[in-house]
Amino acid sequence: MAALAGANLIYGAGMIESGVTFDYAQYVLDNDMARMIKHAVQGVPVNDETLDVDDVHVVGSFGDYLSLDSTMRHMREQSQPRFMDRRVREDWQAAGGRDAYDAAREAAKRILDEYHPEPLPGEAAERIDAIVAEAEERAGVR
Amino acid sequence: MKRNPQAGVRRQAGLRLVVFSDADLDDIHRGTLEVLERTGVFVESDEALDVMADGGCQVDRENKTVKIPPHVVEDAVRAAPASVRLAGRVPENDIVLEGGRVGFTNFSAGIMVIDPRTGEYRKSTTQDVADLARMTDRLDAIDTYEHAVEGRDAPEETLAVRDAAIALKNTTKCVGTGAMSTYDVDAIVRMGAAVAGGEDKLRERPLVYFCECPVSPLKITKDAAEVIMASARHGIPNNVISMAMSGASSPVTLAGTLVTHNAEVLASLTLAQLTERGAPTIYGSSTTAMDLRFAAASVGSPELGCISAGVAQLAQRYMLPSFVAGL
Repeated sequence: MAALAGANLIYGAGMIESGVTFDYAQYVLDNDMARMIKHAVQGVPVNDETLDVDDVHVVGSFGDYLSLDSTMRHMREQSQPRFMDRRVREDWQAAGGRDAYDAAREAAKRILDEYHPEPLPGEAAERIDAIVAEAEERAGVR
Repeated sequence: MKRNPQAGVRRQAGLRLVVFSDADLDDIHRGTLEVLERTGVFVESDEALDVMADGGCQVDRENKTVKIPPHVVEDAVRAAPASVRLAGRVPENDIVLEGGRVGFTNFSAGIMVIDPRTGEYRKSTTQDVADLARMTDRLDAIDTYEHAVEGRDAPEETLAVRDAAIALKNTTKCVGTGAMSTYDVDAIVRMGAAVAGGEDKLRERPLVYFCECPVSPLKITKDAAEVIMASARHGIPNNVISMAMSGASSPVTLAGTLVTHNAEVLASLTLAQLTERGAPTIYGSSTTAMDLRFAAASVGSPELGCISAGVAQLAQRYMLPSFVAGL
């Protein structure tokens, strides 16, 4: 609801238990949800290109839309959740049958093991450490 | 077939929820002005009382109550910028809070975690602060990093400064942080300046933003006043998050709750603008209903959805960036 009203920054991702506990796997799932919501608020653009009436005429009742240029052009605009699994039950089971939480937990572990953002330049990191040391000194906890 | 351009069609861009009519918003606004002028707010800091007295508010020093005339509130609302940039260490992570743009961030100030490696439920540590900042950097739909959990394996006295330092090292997205005092704000601004290459550069592209919460009903504590004034003086964005609970610390009706909520945020915003005109301020809300059966804050409730959506619309009326609970 907040997103549909145009709130600029909506917080809460990763939270469970009324804000006491942060769940890494839930955070990964909520990221998926946030991406879907950003998608939904864009609504349905209406113009000649999106109405696509000429393609409808070409395809008629017995063709399909899979190989059309317009499909290729717009297919990346579709929503692409990673953990809301859209496969049918048989395919999902054949692929291991993991539920969304388990898959998200795996993804969280993978990020923690493998992902390292660009580090701070050494000098900046040292100055930050010095400021923390100063604060600890002042509080008498160093 | 040739399809010629159409003259002057109105199109809808995006999906939109309208919670309030203009008359509703006017009523909430007028109710708020009345509360600020007639009831006033408690302000615990003497320095803040001075600033507000100089700015044309009626200050009762003995009771530390500040009554704010409507024109002072409205002037402060107009003085606050309509658009606030939260900058990342890498520019592609900069985001702009304005109008109806929709962004997301994580929950903040948790004290427990569910460990993804072991599944264990345990106290949060400084390692979690680093790990969650790192995860935030990786998650594509999350726009900023909020102080997700407290590093509880290190001294509590220096929590704000230390955890902000860890976050700055572990994410290239903008870091939202709490602070308990002027000292905390100054120290965190110095850290941001060390990364940005000077305080001027930090002001242009703030890599950090502060948040603090008035205490409902109608109180600005000393800590909160200090953080508001210090961040205003530094020109660093400050997020004022009211956390009213309807039925307990605000009226049981949601409209009444929005009035006291709004009064708390606008009083804080007035303090910021009287400290430094033009101080970047974010209109925040963690307000929700108290479930009176369990005496528990109901998050993830229809009330929270209605309030957060309503707050977004209220902030848009004021041309202020908004930050609300949800997801």
